Amino acid sequence: MALSGMRGLSVFISDVRNCQNKDQERLRVDKELGNIRTRFKNEKGLSPYEKKKYVWKMLYIFMLGYDVDFGHMEAVSLISAPKYPEKQVGYIVTSCLLNENHDFLRLAINTVRNDIIGRNETFQCLALTMVGNIGGRDFAESLAPDVQKLLISSSCRPLVRKKAALCLLRLFRKNPDVVNVDGWVDRMAQLLDERDLGVLTSSMSLLVALVSNNHEAYWSCLPKCVKTLERLARNQDIPQEYTYYGIPSPWLQVKTMRALQYFPTIEDPNTRRSLFEVLQRILMGTDVVKNVNKNNASHAVLFEALALVMHLDAEKEMMSQCVALLGKFIAVREPNIRYLGLENMTRMLLVTDVQDIIKRHQAQIITSLKDPDISIRRRALDLLYGMCDITNAKDIVEELLQYLSTAEFAMREELSLKAAILAEKFAPDLSWYVDVILQLIDKAGDFVSDDIWFRVVQFVTNNEDLQPYAAAKAREYLDKPAIHETMVKVSAYLLGEFGHLLARRPGCSPKELFSIIHEKLPTVLSSTIPILLSTYAKILMHTQPPDPELQNQIWGIFNKYESCIDAEIQQRAVEYHALSRKGASLMDILAEMPKFPERQSALIKKAEDTEVDTAEQSAIKLRAQQQMSSALVVTDQRPANGTPSGIQLSLVKVPSMSINEDQNMAEQGLSHENGILSKVDPQTPSADLLGDLLGPLAIEGPPGTDVQSQQNIVSGLENVPNTVEAAAIVPVEEQTNSVQIGIKAEWRAHQGRVVLFLGNKNTSPLVSVHAIILPPSHLKIELSLVPDTIPPRAQVQCPLEVVNLRPSRDVAVLDFSYKFGNNMVNAKLRLPAVLNKFLHPISVSGDEFFPQWRSLSGPPLKLQEVVRGVRPMPLLDMANLFNSFRLMVSPGLDPNPNNLVASTTYYSESTRPMLCLIRIETDPADRTQLRMTVASGDPTLTFELKEFIKEQLVSIPTALRSPMAATPAPPIPQPTSPAAALTDPGAMLAGLL
Amino acid sequence: MPVAASAIYFLNLRGDVLINRLYRDDVGGNMVDAFRVHIMQTKELGTCPVRHIGGCSFFYMRISNVYIVIVVSSNANVACAFKFVVEAVALFKSYFGGAFDEDAIRNNFVLIYELLDEIMDFGYPQNLSPEILKLYITQEGVRSPFSSKPTDKPVPNATLQVTGAVGWRREGLVYKKNEVFLDIVESVNLLMSSKGSVLRCDVTGKILMKCFLSGMPDLKLGLNDKIGLEKESQIKSRPTKSGKTIELDDVTFHQCVNLTRFNSEKTVSFVPPDGEFELMKYRITEGVNLPFRVLPTIKELGRTRMEVNVKVKSVFGAKMFALGVVIKIPVPKQTAKTSFQVTSGRAKYNAAIDCLVWKIRKFPGQTEPTMSAEVELISTMAEKKSWTRPPIQMEFQVPMFTASGLRVRFLKVWEKSGYNTVEWVRYITKAGSYEIRC
Repeated sequence: MALSGMRGLSVFISDVRNCQNKDQERLRVDKELGNIRTRFKNEKGLSPYEKKKYVWKMLYIFMLGYDVDFGHMEAVSLISAPKYPEKQVGYIVTSCLLNENHDFLRLAINTVRNDIIGRNETFQCLALTMVGNIGGRDFAESLAPDVQKLLISSSCRPLVRKKAALCLLRLFRKNPDVVNVDGWVDRMAQLLDERDLGVLTSSMSLLVALVSNNHEAYWSCLPKCVKTLERLARNQDIPQEYTYYGIPSPWLQVKTMRALQYFPTIEDPNTRRSLFEVLQRILMGTDVVKNVNKNNASHAVLFEALALVMHLDAEKEMMSQCVALLGKFIAVREPNIRYLGLENMTRMLLVTDVQDIIKRHQAQIITSLKDPDISIRRRALDLLYGMCDITNAKDIVEELLQYLSTAEFAMREELSLKAAILAEKFAPDLSWYVDVILQLIDKAGDFVSDDIWFRVVQFVTNNEDLQPYAAAKAREYLDKPAIHETMVKVSAYLLGEFGHLLARRPGCSPKELFSIIHEKLPTVLSSTIPILLSTYAKILMHTQPPDPELQNQIWGIFNKYESCIDAEIQQRAVEYHALSRKGASLMDILAEMPKFPERQSALIKKAEDTEVDTAEQSAIKLRAQQQMSSALVVTDQRPANGTPSGIQLSLVKVPSMSINEDQNMAEQGLSHENGILSKVDPQTPSADLLGDLLGPLAIEGPPGTDVQSQQNIVSGLENVPNTVEAAAIVPVEEQTNSVQIGIKAEWRAHQGRVVLFLGNKNTSPLVSVHAIILPPSHLKIELSLVPDTIPPRAQVQCPLEVVNLRPSRDVAVLDFSYKFGNNMVNAKLRLPAVLNKFLHPISVSGDEFFPQWRSLSGPPLKLQEVVRGVRPMPLLDMANLFNSFRLMVSPGLDPNPNNLVASTTYYSESTRPMLCLIRIETDPADRTQLRMTVASGDPTLTFELKEFIKEQLVSIPTALRSPMAATPAPPIPQPTSPAAALTDPGAMLAGLL
Repeated sequence: MPVAASAIYFLNLRGDVLINRLYRDDVGGNMVDAFRVHIMQTKELGTCPVRHIGGCSFFYMRISNVYIVIVVSSNANVACAFKFVVEAVALFKSYFGGAFDEDAIRNNFVLIYELLDEIMDFGYPQNLSPEILKLYITQEGVRSPFSSKPTDKPVPNATLQVTGAVGWRREGLVYKKNEVFLDIVESVNLLMSSKGSVLRCDVTGKILMKCFLSGMPDLKLGLNDKIGLEKESQIKSRPTKSGKTIELDDVTFHQCVNLTRFNSEKTVSFVPPDGEFELMKYRITEGVNLPFRVLPTIKELGRTRMEVNVKVKSVFGAKMFALGVVIKIPVPKQTAKTSFQVTSGRAKYNAAIDCLVWKIRKFPGQTEPTMSAEVELISTMAEKKSWTRPPIQMEFQVPMFTASGLRVRFLKVWEKSGYNTVEWVRYITKAGSYEIRC
């Protein structure tokens, strides 16, 4: 470099290096920048040497991280300098300072082009390098033909052609159109005949990119690749300088094989045969040697060859040869090779019918599980996990369990999860499965996620034969002196459910069970206590005839916890206590748990979530991913179609079902219509497993019994309609791929309590969550604090208090936004706080109705309107519709059978309850029009109510009509036209949002 | 009295602990790690001097290249803590004779430990007066009691003095020549709009005193401040003399000033400590005499040229003069070439601070030198952001001038022996942040 001559530059650099701190450095740099500005502004101009010097300085300052926004002109102008030193600086500085979006680059295009088509090789190389480094669309468009010409010209030296190939590769990445030239494919094929290995390597890089984009066009290159490979493998005509430790150009070999992997198959038998010969040679010829570099090179070639073999689905013989080779590798002491061996074996598992061959190495793999290197252990674990099937599951799981006690903490969770999955997937018999999981919990309790023991409980509940065995096992574990918390949970649950099956065995009488479980109570966390309480209740229930002593003991405990600070414990204690005094009904309510619906194991799902591997562009990987995703689709559809779900069991969550189901159906319909396979799973999300599992314990018994919960939220369902839909899921339910928003609402007089459920369905947390309510003036809405982040797969609840002030039809809007990744997502959702929520149906007799009706005479208290364009419907349906709006229809009040009379009371904060009266006169001849008269004590109310009813009559989606007739569906004003709302689910969704 | 500190740490800029002292055991020794992680390594450093982390409060302050961190876990008196730090630094400086920085700390470990033991006890600040501490914390060797010569017993003296009525002055001082030096130092802060109207203006002043007086003298200081004069006229029942009276705000006195007498008689009377000290501090917001007027005109001629004309007018007495006047006129970052014409002083372009710097060493009163400059800018790639025009800054010192107009009317010294004293009074006005928008 010509730096030696530039004293000013080296002085400046040493000055900057000698600076004590950042401030000093900044001062020095600013001073220098001032100097450079002065120089560049000099009228006399600068000598080429000076210009070069200052441009170097500028580059140095730029590299230090300062903003240099002047002087680009000088840098670009240096490109056109006639001499090499200046030109070189120009090219280097330009490619550092500018990027493809700078306008200045346009100025340089012409100069660069002149250099490229010029005769001087050095200049050509400089120009090609610069174009390759920053070449954007402009460069690609104007220079690609010239670069192509250079690449295929025979007069150029290989040096230039190498650079041209790489430059073209870069341009192609920016703008794939550059190779859309007639005959380029043929030229590319010709290029592969090149004898010079350097040019060939560069061209092969280009080919890899081209083929990965569009392999069909380049069929003709395939035989050439094979030929190249043959040439290399046979070591024919390879110059000395292209061999690396005796291996003929390993880079080119790897690239060629990579390119071959982009072609789906090789049809030509001759080519195929010769390729296999080469591969055979590579497979046979590679061995482990002392020299590290040689090893690296030869193994790179070998592993690429393995990948190619797998890709080509070669004959079994070759496969087994590969596996044998890998088996040799994993027995080697050198950790790198062992790692690669294990990794490739794991990949190999994707190919069919080599599993048996791999299984022969099982012992060796298990030894690797004890390797001092953790990454090798991880690979070994992956491999064991992958190769496990029914035949070897027992061995492998046992091995994993053994290893678990010595494994380091970082791996234990994964290990226990995998062991649990394998045990579940390949259990030869179920008692073995229970054994394994209990052992797992015993050995690594801290690392066993809740999902694992939930799954055991599900299994045991669903398999009756298993129940006594599991209970006995749990009993055994309880005898151990110190057992893990999770073990306490699982055994308490099992003994509570199934302990009575053991009653005849020694040491398993209810009393003994109780005392052994109760021993653990003082040691457990508050999250476990509820489970223990449930167990006590169950033991109490199963003790027949009742044992007064045990009963008193257990009641004593319930009594103690009735004042517990933990709401969950307190609620359970109170409820169980009350329930257990009911005698016979206790039997019904605390009866054995019903079977769980079959569903995909949450564990497997979890494992799949974690298996997001680094995506390599290799064809094998790609295919593997395709397989995996199709598997996912299959498993997902099953639960999506099975509507009966855990929700129905958990009474606390959603008591009224019919709407909800329709909702689910509608949503399924929606998601399929839109062609998005977003999973609309009517089951509770996995984060809710606990609630799912334990929900039935909290309040048990079939719906309709007179169980009154503490907070009086859930009264018996529809038999007390005036608590107004205890907690119906209303149609403001938004579900995107990442967020699920649900609503639970409860209305009483002029007040309402709405709970928003914000659920994050992703594996990453949602950040910057904001929810703002834009209430209309007639509502007072208080939203409690919405957390800024929602953790992955979690749900948060935000209670809302709504108070009605005045009658109005405006709707409150929830403005909800969050950040997912880098995108800000914003959604506006209407809240179902509409007018009729504050109505209360009241039935009036004729004696009350007519005086009122007469006293409210004429506008503005009494308004009449003829409504046209009404959706025709029978009178009975209309009456049902009115009832669902909480307008109580009083049949028989009006002598005319074609008329309807309805009454209701309206609640708001400011006024007393107000009576509203409605009369509808229909025309039996023309059902699309009717006359409506509305009367109330308040002019605004009259008007708003009239408009509200009108809106509802004009736009009623028929899809919702039948459920509406049965249940009080809270309607939402539908601004879309009725026809659109009927046919187009997308429009329906739009209406909801 | 609330606690001021549970522990004090001295850290260098990298966050290494140079020295620390735990006064109470309610904070752990590793709390400073929290400071390092949560404050020093974040961008919040320097934005907020009080932070609460993990149940502990951190008060910190940077002095040259040292961070002084006070950690408290209880409800502490923050002002007291910061005052303690400031005083402690002043104490260290007087011991080290000058700078307080990392090297000074490293060179004086033993001394600092000794001082830290002395100046705070169980979290409560103790005597921080250098004069007194120097009596018994010395850097010289202490003579062994077994040595043959009788010692002059300085230590009992010290305790007596600390607990005595006049804690800040030793008895039995004798000077051949009794002298008092009085300095009134004011700094003017100004922000003026481009149209010449004053947006913000105030003067912060302090009276520094150096006493070389024998015995236990009682001093009385008279200024031309409003309350003092009014009180005086009341007592003497005669109208105030015509002339300017000054209204002082936010007056704070040295501890030696007798506050009861100030409250009743509005006179500043005190028994001074020996040597140098700051007698009082004050602030003035009304009726400030600005020493300089600056009249800038800056014209942007197209994208690459600017014309700058600045006229500075000195409005103090013609006999007085200002020293070290520096006027900094900001110019855009892409300034390439400059040319100047000045009527006095010299001007140049400083690229490091992006300013035209005009320096005038001696600036007589009632004159108005001008500077005109032509600035050429270099064109840049990026679309030029409109220049924000930062304000012109000015530095100066004007001796024998007070921007507030404050004067010392008298300084009386009484001593039992009735010696004569010589009093010297000096005035100086400096620029604080003297800014003129343009």
